[in-house]
Amino acid sequence: MGFNKLINYKKLISLFAVFALLGTNMLMAQDAATPATTASGPDVAGKSSVWLGVGYYVLLFLVLCFVVAIIGKILRVYELTQQMQKKKTLNWNNVMGTICIIFLVAGLGGAYWSLTEQGSMTLPEAASLHGVKIDNMFLTTTILTLIVFFITQILLFSFAFIYKGSDKRRAYFLPHNNTIEKVWTIAPAIVLTILVVFGFFTWQEITNITDGKGQSSIDIEVTGHQFAWELRYPGKDHKLGAHSYKLIGGANKLGVDFKDKASFDDQTADTLVIPVNKPVRLNIEAQDVIHSVYMPHFRVQLNAVPGLPTYFRFTPTITTNQMRTKLDDPKFEYLLYCNKICGGGHYNMQKVVRVVSESEYNEWIAKQKPYLSDALKGELKLAAEKKNTLNNRLALNN
Amino acid sequence: MAQIQQEDKMALGPKKFNMWIFIFTSFMFFAALTSGFIVYSGGRGHGINLKLPNVFMYSTACIVISSVTMFLASKAAKSLQFAKQRQYLWLTMLLGVLFFIIQLIGWSQLINMGVYFVNNNASQSFIYVFTGMHLIHIIAGLLLIANTLRGSYKNIPQVKNLFGMEMSSIFWHFIDIIWIYLYVFLLLNQY
Amino acid sequence: MSTIAVQDHGHGHAHHEDGHGHHHDTFLTKYIFSQDHKMIAKQFLITGITMAFLAMIMSILFRIQLAYPDKSFPFLETLLGHFAPEGHISPDFYMSLVTIHGTIMVFFVLTAGLSGTFSNLLIPLQVGARDMASPFMNMLSYWFFFMASIVMLSSFFVQTGPASGGWTVYPPLSALPKAMPGSGTGMTLWLISMVLFVASSLMGGINYVSTVLNMRTKGMDLWKMPLTIWAFFLTAILGVLAFPVLVAGVVLLIFDRSFGTSFYLSDIVLNGQVMPYEGGSPILFQHLFWFLGHPEVYIIIMPAMGIASEVMSVNSRKPIFGYHAMVYSLIGITVLSFIVWGHHMFVTGMNPFLGGVFMITTLIIAVPSAVKTFNWLATLWRGNIRFTPAMLFAIGMVSFFISGGITGIFLGNAALDINLHDTYFVVAHFHLVMGSAAIFGMLCGVYHWFPKMFGRMMDAKLGYLHFWLTFIGAYLVFFPMHFMGLDGVPRRYYAFTEFESMKRWLSVNVFITWSAIVAGLAQVAFIYNFIHSIFWGKRTVQNPWNANTLEWTAPIEHFHGNWEGEIPTVYRWPYDYSKPGAEHDFIQQTVPFSQTMESNLPEDFEDNEGALEEQQKWANTQRANEQVK
Ligand code: HEA
Ligand code: HEA
Ligand code: CUA
Ligand SMILES: [Cu+2]
Repeated sequence: MGFNKLINYKKLISLFAVFALLGTNMLMAQDAATPATTASGPDVAGKSSVWLGVGYYVLLFLVLCFVVAIIGKILRVYELTQQMQKKKTLNWNNVMGTICIIFLVAGLGGAYWSLTEQGSMTLPEAASLHGVKIDNMFLTTTILTLIVFFITQILLFSFAFIYKGSDKRRAYFLPHNNTIEKVWTIAPAIVLTILVVFGFFTWQEITNITDGKGQSSIDIEVTGHQFAWELRYPGKDHKLGAHSYKLIGGANKLGVDFKDKASFDDQTADTLVIPVNKPVRLNIEAQDVIHSVYMPHFRVQLNAVPGLPTYFRFTPTITTNQMRTKLDDPKFEYLLYCNKICGGGHYNMQKVVRVVSESEYNEWIAKQKPYLSDALKGELKLAAEKKNTLNNRLALNN
Repeated sequence: MAQIQQEDKMALGPKKFNMWIFIFTSFMFFAALTSGFIVYSGGRGHGINLKLPNVFMYSTACIVISSVTMFLASKAAKSLQFAKQRQYLWLTMLLGVLFFIIQLIGWSQLINMGVYFVNNNASQSFIYVFTGMHLIHIIAGLLLIANTLRGSYKNIPQVKNLFGMEMSSIFWHFIDIIWIYLYVFLLLNQY
Repeated sequence: MSTIAVQDHGHGHAHHEDGHGHHHDTFLTKYIFSQDHKMIAKQFLITGITMAFLAMIMSILFRIQLAYPDKSFPFLETLLGHFAPEGHISPDFYMSLVTIHGTIMVFFVLTAGLSGTFSNLLIPLQVGARDMASPFMNMLSYWFFFMASIVMLSSFFVQTGPASGGWTVYPPLSALPKAMPGSGTGMTLWLISMVLFVASSLMGGINYVSTVLNMRTKGMDLWKMPLTIWAFFLTAILGVLAFPVLVAGVVLLIFDRSFGTSFYLSDIVLNGQVMPYEGGSPILFQHLFWFLGHPEVYIIIMPAMGIASEVMSVNSRKPIFGYHAMVYSLIGITVLSFIVWGHHMFVTGMNPFLGGVFMITTLIIAVPSAVKTFNWLATLWRGNIRFTPAMLFAIGMVSFFISGGITGIFLGNAALDINLHDTYFVVAHFHLVMGSAAIFGMLCGVYHWFPKMFGRMMDAKLGYLHFWLTFIGAYLVFFPMHFMGLDGVPRRYYAFTEFESMKRWLSVNVFITWSAIVAGLAQVAFIYNFIHSIFWGKRTVQNPWNANTLEWTAPIEHFHGNWEGEIPTVYRWPYDYSKPGAEHDFIQQTVPFSQTMESNLPEDFEDNEGALEEQQKWANTQRANEQVK
């Protein structure tokens, strides 16, 4: 009877294979054909083919369930017959133990593959001074944790394999062992102390910026709103003018306050251009909701919080051109993205960042538009006039 | 056996313990609000910037006295003087309602001072939040007392009466203390 | 939905006689407004599983969008209507899906579903009580949870869609109804649901703490409690202390949204309109949220740890290694978890010094976690491992916890977090440690205590299939995400097509999505097994796993009160497995030492001089007898 089922089972498997192969082929063919049909006619054909696809996958799944059910039945029948013949049945402890060890080997292989293959797709070297420190920290942490990772996972699954159950054996009664417990409390504590100390100093170096506003670094204001970034450069006086959210409106997109003389020469720009090897201080603002200035290549991130101006100071070290040759990608650009959920357009709130040599920077900045554009001047004049007439009227009333 | 079960099931001790834990959660809630206040006013440099209306002193006196009457009610219940117990419970409820009303008067005085709930200095909004959230507890406390009172009129078994008495007095003393905490907190942060 | 399931199951379950004479349960009081902790546990479980499936389907839906951002899927339009115009999920609805997926998984599945089910089932049964301290409150706890679930799901029927500001609902995004569609009615419903949910959690938690402290049976001192009870107890304490803080945060948020106060809002210009808010601090909300939010993640993992400890000990046929250390590490985690919340806020512009402090406390938490991990490994060592599905899930839980915990070490480092915050590295971290480890802990519990709940066994072979597919599937889904994070790919992105540099991750995304679909389909094996076994599973014996704990001394049949006659007395700790000299490889907690003279050890009498003398006397006579022979 078990034998019968077994034949049945083989037939089914091959049937299933044929079905899967043919079906997939057909779907592929349709997929290839869809562009043609949609290009020529209404996309009814395309739609129905997708529905066909859904139907196909549902069917595939049902067939799979069926196969699983059959295999289950066969196992049951096999075990029953073995039992009836007083023979040993399948020992699930052994089966599972073996799968554990197979999983361990395959998993280690997979982890290694992933670390090399996908690991190589991660960010290139840090393009900023402090970024190098972060990368060092990262390397240390990775090495230490990977050692722990591999050791513990290997122990876990090999123990599962080695000590798989058997009726002939009893487990070793070992409720506790104070020495070894102390060892493995103290050992991780030491590793973590290393990480904490190293990390704490790295963090301090990055965030502890002693020099005040505008000294020896270029002040640039980055303002986030749904869903774009606005830039303001300080102009010749190296000072950003004051601003207030209440003044936002019309052409004054950043609410710059022109009572402050420092604001007269402020400039706007479309691209965040910064000179290499010079400290840059990003003054970060937001107008509506929280955004986050994220420039992964420089290892820079700080949230832009409405009502809470923040800043991040860093020094880029690799120009865009250098990075292009390094990565062998002529189209490479540094980017600034938004990294805090801020609404439907959150996924596309980017700004190109370009690191250039100092001379290129000077050349570029000279060409940037003043913030106080003609349109803005017009608006300000209008507002001033209105105020004057208002004042006059008040004066008259008095 | 069924008897054992019934007693087990009433689990009065653990239920009283429940009340204590609830008081803990409630306390955490107010602690969170006051911490929020500290973070807010510390970070922003906005204090409350006003002198609290004097009525809050009267309301404080009111609730402190109500705690005393509550204690007397408990004592009366323990010595089986149910009429006295009821009397004191009524008194406590009265004082509770009075407290409620005085708080509302306090609000109206604040509004007359130009201190609104919707306010660009959220430190001032916090006054309303503290008192308002506390008033919700007062309502709960009054309901508890009313329940005890109802039980006492219905002549329920003394165990249950005492139990209800104890539950409501624990809670009432707690909201008394919370109010004092909030009031002192506000006084300390007036400017 | 879930009530119906509960009712249906009711018919299948034999109508046993109470034999107790106290009032007769009607259908309504027995299956719906039941005050019996076992029934409430089942209600929590079934509602939790239902919510888990819904949230899982949501994850598949948004994974489809991530894998095929350019393709249109007409069936999505059929399914989702105007949320997926022309077969494309809209960006706003994508956010809603992610938000509700996260909320449901964190709160409804792993807080209510996990603690609610197993604390309810096991606390009275394992400490030896007839029910919770307040069965009525317990019932209310379930019904508040049920209402919270309904309110949360009902937000899908709102025109503007469910809440979509992420499960952390940071204001101003969540506070300004005009900031995104989901911040309108959807957000209001989210807040209502959360308040109901917190009420439910608090009522549950209060009961659990009180029951554990007050209603233990004779002999059950704290150091004789199974680790599950310790874990549930400490979890409940965490919840009781942390949830009120969330309420405080939410109350202020509601005022900001509906009354126009400015607790969290300041200097806002929305759509060119200057808003009147001034002086608020968005960071304040983050502090309040994470003061709950971080303990919350341990509320999630600790019951899973307790369950895994218990199951590993039972199925290794070995005492849990370092029982005291296990308890102390749980306590350590509980205490530490209150002072690390700032690690979610390293880059919010918080004071950098504070950041440094939070970094230290965060990394210290790895020490108790390490102790637990190593103790689990030592429990397996020289065990006699019985691979039940529950055991496999426990092993899987440990594996995931190691992987996910280790990535937490990266994030906990403030300097590294600058570049990792809000990238897929974080997504990978918390899915491993929560979406995998904690879920596995829960599944482990379901497989292990199913016989206790339903009086029948689940099918082991389907369990094996379920385990391996889910285990491998979850690793395939979440492992590659680390590398996306290390490449700076942000989370909560609707599509990666707008950035040239992210396009190369599309193939990985397709792979992840398909792995997720396979892992998702594997859950069909679970659900089939679960439902089928409730009605037609093999009937269980009283103690199917040969376990020591008290719940297996209670009769299979359920009735309100758990034990007929007196509640058994407890004499020993719950981990006397494979004790040398003992007749069987397990000795239940109810067996007095006087019956096991052959296997008693000097440690067993640490605070019991009299018994020790007795034991020595016995040993002497034994020796004398031997000599006579
Ligand atoms: C069950 C849930 C759970 C658990 C248990 C943890 C555990 C930990 N988490 Fe995680 N975490 C989350 C759920 C969880 N987390 C969630 C949901 C988020 C994101 C929320 C959001 O933003 O949406 C998050 C985010 C998060 C962040 C913020 C990231 C960011 O947004 O920028 C950080 C940063 O510090 C962090 C750290 C840690 C640490 C250090 C642990 C530690 O407890 C881990 C300890 C464990 C181990 C270390 C492994 C075992 C130990 C050993 C094998 C011994 C040896 C090890 C060493 C010597 C290194 N987590
Ligand atoms: C328990 C928590 C949990 C679980 C199980 C999952 C499961 C999954 N999650 Fe989820 N996820 C979160 C919690 C969880 N997630 C949170 C908190 C967020 C953040 C939300 C936010 O940003 O606001 C998030 C966000 C999130 C993102 C990021 C979206 C973005 O930022 O744009 C992605 C992307 O792929 C994702 C994918 C998945 C997938 C594919 C699955 C799975 O489908 C994987 C495959 C299936 C399994 C591994 C089996 C799970 C088993 C069950 C569900 C049955 C359970 C039954 C019992 C336990 C009895 N999730
Ligand atoms: Cu702006 Cu996200
Ligand atoms: Cu955390």
